[in-house]
Amino acid sequence: MNFEVYNRELCVETIRIIGVASSSVVLVGDTQSIQQAATFDTPPESLIIGPFVPLTAEGR
Amino acid sequence: MLPRTSQIENIRVKIASYSSVVQLGDSCIINSFSRALAVQRQADTFYGNEGNFGIHRVFSELIPLPIITENLTIRQHYLNPVIKVKNIDIIGVSSASLLHVGNTQHVSVEVRVKHVRQLLPRDEEPDTSLMIGDRKK
Repeated sequence: MNFEVYNRELCVETIRIIGVASSSVVLVGDTQSIQQAATFDTPPESLIIGPFVPLTAEGR
Repeated sequence: MLPRTSQIENIRVKIASYSSVVQLGDSCIINSFSRALAVQRQADTFYGNEGNFGIHRVFSELIPLPIITENLTIRQHYLNPVIKVKNIDIIGVSSASLLHVGNTQHVSVEVRVKHVRQLLPRDEEPDTSLMIGDRKK
């Protein structure tokens, strides 16, 4: 595939963003490559109703 | 190739946290990584030594990336070498995210989050009848 890009005038007044999170990118400029990955796991077993049980401690 | 210059008049960022980057100026490689165990408990309980990334698969499983098989030829023409932005107003940049003003070559970011919710048994639920905005009373 041949991809031809003509970068003409690019003029922006205001960019207003509440949040940039979880591997997001705000880029004002040029780049060759961007690679982003995000996983978010909240399975049914992560909803625990009952007496509080501590999570497994570090290094165990 | 003639790279462009980015021109910004005002930048306002309130918070940048957890492996985030606010970069003004050119860069070559940006690599950022963050992992989190997000725990919500219905009542305040802190044990102080919790959390083990090793036991959750979400922190070790492979995230597959699409393979580029097509032969790609990019030709860029910079007819105006300046990108102009007057204002950038951001409240928060978080969890391996980035705000980058200027050119870069390679950006790679990865985030892994495990979310756990712990609720009290029904009969132990705190009395919410006095909470503001509760219309059930």
